[in-house]
Amino acid sequence: MSDKKEPKSIERRRFLRSGMQMALAVSLGGVAGVSLLKSTSKDLVWQLDPFKCVQCGRCADECVMTPSAVKCVHAYDLCGYCDLCGGYLKPDANARTTAAENQLCPTAAIKRQYIEEPYFEYVIDEDLCIGCAKCVAGCTSFGNGSLHLQVRHDLCKNCNDCSIARVCPADAFQRVPADTPYLIKGGFTKGGSSKDNLKKG
Amino acid sequence: MNRKLVNIVLIVLAVAIVVIIGKDFIGKKAGKNIENPYEYNIDEYRKVDSTKILYFEKTHFPVKVHDWAGVAVSDSTIVVATDNHLLKFDYSGKQIFSKQLIDTVSCVAIDENRQIWIGISDYVVMYDQNGTLVKRWNSFGDRALFTSLAVSGENIYVADAGNRIVYQCNTNGQIVQKIGEQNDQKGISGFVIPSPYFDVAIDDNGFLWAANTGRHVFENYNEDGSLRTSWGLTSFKIEGFSGCCNPAHFAILEDNSFITSEKGMPRIKLYDQHGQFIGVVAPPDAFSGSLAPDIAVDKQHRVIALDFTKQQVRIFEKKKE
Repeated sequence: MSDKKEPKSIERRRFLRSGMQMALAVSLGGVAGVSLLKSTSKDLVWQLDPFKCVQCGRCADECVMTPSAVKCVHAYDLCGYCDLCGGYLKPDANARTTAAENQLCPTAAIKRQYIEEPYFEYVIDEDLCIGCAKCVAGCTSFGNGSLHLQVRHDLCKNCNDCSIARVCPADAFQRVPADTPYLIKGGFTKGGSSKDNLKKG
Repeated sequence: MNRKLVNIVLIVLAVAIVVIIGKDFIGKKAGKNIENPYEYNIDEYRKVDSTKILYFEKTHFPVKVHDWAGVAVSDSTIVVATDNHLLKFDYSGKQIFSKQLIDTVSCVAIDENRQIWIGISDYVVMYDQNGTLVKRWNSFGDRALFTSLAVSGENIYVADAGNRIVYQCNTNGQIVQKIGEQNDQKGISGFVIPSPYFDVAIDDNGFLWAANTGRHVFENYNEDGSLRTSWGLTSFKIEGFSGCCNPAHFAILEDNSFITSEKGMPRIKLYDQHGQFIGVVAPPDAFSGSLAPDIAVDKQHRVIALDFTKQQVRIFEKKKE
């Protein structure tokens, strides 16, 4: 009986020893491989494609940062500098003025500045912007779509699993190279002429 | 006994894992459908009193169109110029011909001799009714962006959204005069064109009308280029025009009433010759998306709409009273 049991015990020990050695080798190899990959590949960051964005409001509430690291940005080359700006004024605004009751933005983060009759410039105050995309919806529907959202990388924590990307209904979030971290709207981003982009806006 | 217990524990663990994964999956899905507290809501303005809808959709047929395209009608034929194709249909949707063009189209018009004039960004080409190229103008420069053409006898009116001006040209493309340049002495405030939506048409008396979209007004010009009259109203309500660039398209009926088409909240409406709102041809609920359908009208007062979202030519007829 005992003669039969002894070789089995030795086999199990050998098996465990060789298994442990193998696991150690694999894990060391894995760590070395990952390190090598990290040192040779480009760093990636999160960004949202403004052409996929559906202005759902998640960027304001789902980001781990408060306020959100997603902010509205303005492609000035697309803007019509309109007096009646769909991104600035409420649909039922009483007048085209800077009065609070006429502003679409819930935090008054868009500043309207007179240039010359009848043109106005719209500037985003990023400290106030919460990334809700309400202005983006207004601008995209009734304007040229020059207002759009972008992840600001001076604020973004670049989480491994972006909490906004998890719930984005348009799957607009993607990893982009850190050396070209923005997807700004305009003739220079999509390869087309500025005329093409204007018409689509 | 022990083995049984181990099996039970393993099964319970497996079920627990499946439940957790499923819950997470459903939770994630639900997270994608939650209400938007910052929603840009214009539902109130999409509602139209049914008594104000004066037209119904008689028929439609499919057509593959890009959002850079135009529609025009002549007799019983419908011409659609899209991308780099010129398509001619009858009213049932039967294709009469399809011609390959040399470049991407931006607008189209048909003259009284059924010749087809096509704006291609910064120049104009003319085809005969069979689709044979007859004329090609020289380029008006890099800044030019033609968005509409109107033909009246030997005069071709070209709306240039890039330069914010209307050119009156002869049939060879030579400029006769520039219309709509800012001139305080003549009381012309100039065209405000925030985006490439700048339409022109000729009324039954031969006068030019242009949509000054940045100001939401129609401007009417005399033969010498002086401002004759204007009308318009800025409002999200049904009788007005909203957004930065409306009315995006318009056409004039034989009785000089106006059919207008808007972007943002697409809707097609009817105004009398003085700009008084009469009723609705197609309410916002007839459309999806935000692109303004290009429109044309025929002698039977039918409205032919080129719907870029539905990829259809849609024909609207007046309801019988």
